[in-house]
This record gives sequence, C-alpha cells and structure tokens, in this order.
Amino acid sequence: MRTQGVAKFAKRSLRRFWRGLREWCGDAAYERYLRASGRQATEQRTLSAEEFYVEQINRRYSRPNRCC
Amino acid sequence: MKSILKVIVWLCVAIAGAGALAKVALHRGEPLNATWFVVAAVCSYMVAYRFYSAFIAARLLALDDSRATPAEIHDDGRDFVPTNKWVLFGHHFAAIAGPGPLVGPTLAAQFGYLPGTLWLIVGAAVAGCVQDFIILFCSIRRDGKTLGQMAREEVSARGGFIAQIAVLAIMVILLAVVALVVVNALKSSPWGTFTLAMTIPIALLLGVYLRFIRPGRVLEASLFGVVLVLFAVVAGQWVAASPPWARAFTFGGLSLAFVIIAYGFAAAVLPVWLLLAPRDYLSAFIKTGAIFSLAAGILFVRPHMMMPPLTRFIDGSGPVFAGKIFPFCFITIACGAISGFHSLISSGTSPKMILRESHARSIGYGAMLLESFVGVMAMVAACAMPPGVYFAINSPASIVGSTPDAAARTISGWGYHLDPQTMANLAHSVGEQTLLNRAGGAPSLAVGMAQIFSNTIGGDRLLSIWYHFAIMFEALFILTVLDAGTRVGRFMVQELGGRVWKPLARTGWMPGILLSSAVIVGLWGYFLYQGVVDPLGGINSLWPLFGIANQLLAAVALVVATTILLKMKRLRWIWVTLVPMAWLVAVTMTASYQKIFDASPDLGFLAKANVLAVQITAGLIPAAKIAETHRLIFNQRLDAAVTGVLALMILVLLVEALAQWYAILSGRREAVLHEAPYVPTKWAEGFTGTAHGDD
Repeated sequence: MRTQGVAKFAKRSLRRFWRGLREWCGDAAYERYLRASGRQATEQRTLSAEEFYVEQINRRYSRPNRCC
Repeated sequence: MKSILKVIVWLCVAIAGAGALAKVALHRGEPLNATWFVVAAVCSYMVAYRFYSAFIAARLLALDDSRATPAEIHDDGRDFVPTNKWVLFGHHFAAIAGPGPLVGPTLAAQFGYLPGTLWLIVGAAVAGCVQDFIILFCSIRRDGKTLGQMAREEVSARGGFIAQIAVLAIMVILLAVVALVVVNALKSSPWGTFTLAMTIPIALLLGVYLRFIRPGRVLEASLFGVVLVLFAVVAGQWVAASPPWARAFTFGGLSLAFVIIAYGFAAAVLPVWLLLAPRDYLSAFIKTGAIFSLAAGILFVRPHMMMPPLTRFIDGSGPVFAGKIFPFCFITIACGAISGFHSLISSGTSPKMILRESHARSIGYGAMLLESFVGVMAMVAACAMPPGVYFAINSPASIVGSTPDAAARTISGWGYHLDPQTMANLAHSVGEQTLLNRAGGAPSLAVGMAQIFSNTIGGDRLLSIWYHFAIMFEALFILTVLDAGTRVGRFMVQELGGRVWKPLARTGWMPGILLSSAVIVGLWGYFLYQGVVDPLGGINSLWPLFGIANQLLAAVALVVATTILLKMKRLRWIWVTLVPMAWLVAVTMTASYQKIFDASPDLGFLAKANVLAVQITAGLIPAAKIAETHRLIFNQRLDAAVTGVLALMILVLLVEALAQWYAILSGRREAVLHEAPYVPTKWAEGFTGTAHGDD
C-alpha cells in the first residue's frame, strides 16, 4: 500500500517536472496558444504551428530578453 | 508548538549564516574551505528572503492576490501568458543570468575574496533583489509597461527619454565588453575556436528542424543540439592536434574581433528562426546545466581558497583593473549584486506572464538571490586557484610581461609565488599553447571550473575537456547575449532614428534593417576594436565603463521605483529604495569622476591621454607607432566623454525626480499614479496556472 503511494507520488512529480520543463523551454507554447485562442472570440484565424513559432520568436527577440 | 519550532529553525539558520559570514570575514592564516562561503551565502539568502522580502511584499507593496494580473486580463497565449510560478521563475532566471555574475566576481578577485563576496551577498539582499522585485511589481500594476514607459509616465517625459538612451548606451558597451571577453578567451586557441564555430552550423540545423520539420518542438531539438555541441567540444582536441586544422582555427585578437563583428551583423539581419533562436535554446540548456553542475562540483570537492581575503591591490594598483575597493569593487561586481539590465526583464517580459501578484516575491527577489549565488560560485572558482596563476592569466602583457619567465618574476615580486614552469604545465594540461595575458575573466574561470569538475569526474585526464567545456559554455552564452542584444539594439536604433527620419522606424523595411544593424554593430564593434588594440588588454578600461553604465541604469530604475513609492504614500518605508539608490549614485559618480579626471594615467582616461600626448611631443614614441598612439589618445578621450555623458544623464534624471518629489511632498503637485484600474481575479485560490487547469 505504502509502495503504491510512493510510486504514485513519484509518477505525479515526474509528470509535473516534465510539464514544467516543456513549458519552460517553450515546447508547450503552441498548445497553450491554441487553448488561449479557443477562448478568444476576437481571434481572426488560428495560426498553424509553424506560423505561431515564427511569430512568437520574432516578438520575443525584438525586446530585451537576455541579460548581462 | 509549531510556531516555536519555526522560530528555533530560523534562529539556527540565522546563527549559522552569521557564524559562516564571520568566519569568511575574520579568518586569517590557512586557506579557508569553500563550504564556509556556501553556508554564509545560502543562510543569508534564506534569512533575507524569509524576512526582508516578506516585509517588502506586505508593508511596502501590499501585494494583492485578489487583483487580476495582466496575464489574466489580457491572456492571448502570445505575450500575456499566465504561467506557473516555478516555470516563470525558470524563465526569469534564464533571462537575467548572463556572463556578468561570472566575469565580474572573477575580475574583482584581484582585491582578494572578501570584499567581493561580502558585496555579492549583502548587495543582492538589500539592493539587487529589491530593484528586481519592486520594478516587477510596478510593471505588473501597469499592464507590463517597460522601464522607459514607466519613467516617462511617473517621473517625466525627459526621464523616459534618458532611460531609453541609457539602455542603448549600456547595450553598446555591454556588447563590446562581452565580445572582448570572447576574443581574449579564444585568441590563439584552435580548440576553443573550433568548438564555438561548430555551434553555428549546429544552430542552423536546429533552426531548420524547428521551422520546417517539427515546428516549435524545442525540447527534442535542443537536447539533440546539446549532444552535438558536447561532441564538438571533444572533437576540438583532434583539431588542435592536427597542425593544418589547428592553423585554420588559430586567430589573433584582431581577426577574431572582425569575425565576431561580422557574426553580430549577420545575427541581427538574418531571420530569427534560423540562427538566433536555436542558439539561444542551446545556450539556455547548457547554461542551466553548467551552473547547477558547478554548484554540485563545489559542494563535492569543497576546494580551499588559495587567494588571501585581501590582496595588496586594495590600494588601487591592481594589474587586472585600476582603482581602489571603493568604488571599483562595486562597479566591477555589478550584475552579481545589482544589475540595471534586470529592470528591463522585470518590466516588459515577466510581468506579462505572472499569475498572481504574490509570485513577484519569489520571481523578482528570489531569482536575483540565485544569480548572486552564481556570482559567489564564480568567486570561489577564481579564488581556489593559486593567486600567482590567477594574476598570470588575468594581467596584461604590458604589466607582467609576455613570457612565462617575465610573468613569474613580476608576479612573484608582488608576493604571489609563481614558478615559470607552472603556467607552461597548466597550459599544456588544458590543451592550450599559453594561458598568459588572457584578461577578461573567462579563461581563469574556466581553469577554476575545470579543476573543480575534474576533481569530481575524470581527474587530470579530463582537465583539458572540462576546460574547453567551460570555455564553450561561457562563449556560447556570451555570443547569445551578443546576437540577441544586437537585434534589440537594432530595434532601439530604428525607434530612435524613426523620430528623425520616419522610414527608419519601419521594422520590416530591409534598407532600414541593414542601416540600423550597421549602426549598432558599428558602435559596439568600435569599442571592441578599441579594446583589442589597447596595450592594457581592453578589459582594464572597458569593464569599468560597462560597470558604470550598468549601475547607472540600476540607479535609473531605483529613481523610478522611489518616485512610484512616494506617490503610493509609502514615505515611512521609502528608505528601502532610497538608500540603495543613493549608494549607487555615490558609487557611479565617484567612479565616473575618477575614471575621467584622476591624475594617475593607470586610472584616469584623460591623464592617460595626456601622458601619451606628452610622449609624442617629447619624441619618445617611434615614428612607426605615432599614428597608433594618436588612436589610443582618441580612444581614451572617447571613453572619458562616454563616461561623462552617462554621469550627466543620471544627474539630469535625479534633478527631475527631486523636483517632482519636492513638489509632491510640499503639496504643490498632486501625486498621480498611472496604475491600471483594479480588476478582481476570476481564478480560484488554488489555481496554479499549469496548462489552464489540467493539473
């Protein structure tokens, strides 16, 4: 019973870590965008994964995002 | 019962921290173990975070979790993205952690380990973290506005313009100085140059993969790229061992400078997805991995500090850079304790992603504490090597000589014993021809890191691999700062230039892109060239200039923060930002004055120019070197002028702010805050922001 609990906890922690890592590095950005654009009534057209990727990095690297 | 236990635990942490700090400060004699530094830093950070940041959050800022943040109000999945606290902490830390906290403390080690370590810990707790935290809060309350916009609205229109110019100035000097660090690390090093050169095709490969094959799959692409980069580090030794290949990858300082200038231009002009973004992904993974590995290595090896707590160079006669502890220790440490540049990340980017106001405490204050810890680790790595070796690597040839014998004689004469054979053996064991006269901090940090890593894994057999891994790690993320900074600088030039000539402001217009990129690259490229041809190695004059610019920007941020707090009627607690602001103004003004007007040619730009001019007049300079000397004179005067302009800007902003504070305090002007209106949050209390409720 206790082993099961530990295994469950470890599995949940690993899943959280994996999800956090994907969000941190930008892997999950498009999924997030799709969820956000699904909620936005004003959205004209949902961008494809490629369009979103290019648009996102163009925006990110046009303002200070890396420090000294 | 629980609260008594808490009190006891925090008392123990405080006592352990105070005891370790006292040990670091007062210990004399046998070399001190690095564990004391780690305990002193970590316990101080814990106490500062638990009590001081909590005080700021509750009393000064009154953070309000019932208030919707910009990420909730404008959630568009693009700029405004509600992000889990720890994920945003990672984003924020990856953005603020640059080469500064690694290079600054390494250079400041010339005073000994004590002044730099104390300032890293104390400065971060009472100044750097406070600035990052409060600017982040101010920007959250203003829909993620930038520092320049807040300065314009809350201080004055002129204040906003000054902040904008200050950002551009610091960017130019920053890019020049970090490029110089790379040049000094890679000159005459085929192994290092090959490894870094290979990161370009690897990044291009990743760029194509992320754009066309698996769009946006950053994780898998980056891990694949990291494996390729690590292979390039290993392959570099085969290149260095093969004479024709080694010749092809051996460059002098000036050639490397031109290659880097061309690279910077290409990175600013090429599409972001092709080179800049994939390099940044690679850099972020390697940077994070290397920093955590260094922390683990220090804890595992627990090296002894071979550097004394204070050296003879506290009198200002140091070979790495000139100037006394006050103000130059603070100017040199810069980013590890407080960095003006962080205020650009704390405003504009992170505030648009924050989920709750209360998260600003861990993200703003907490991430800066971690950055300070990186600085302490760099100090440990630099001070763990014998002082003679440290000075041989970091001193320019014109001071210590360019041969091992001459360097050993000079440095031993200072009281730091150095055997001529030691440097030759060390260079051989790390796979380099020489490690002499490599000012800039990167090579000595790489030697320190390699010694720590090789004592953990591989022993002396892997020392050369670890050294080149460390060089690659530093150079890779320095170049990432360089290309990202050049591109941002290009936009700033376009924005400022657009006020004079409208078409320049069109960001998609190719002639405008080429022209503005050439302007920004030309600006930092000139300072880089100046550093490379400087007989003292360039770092000597450029790093203090960078430190002054950075600390001035921090002063600008603290002026804005103080003005906002005053308008929020937090007069009782205004010292929280006012004291660090006054300190920074004192430090930067003293440093600026000394760099411009000091009578010693080692320190004062104008004195140095005058000495050179007198030498020409007296016929002491050979005819062949007269043109070169005239250029050196011009460069010294240019540095003096740039320092003067930076100092003048902060004085003007300060006068503007003081006039505004006086008008508010005397009741002649109403304190108008430009906060966004209060909107209550719709999110439940336990909402963590992880993928919109799928947690």
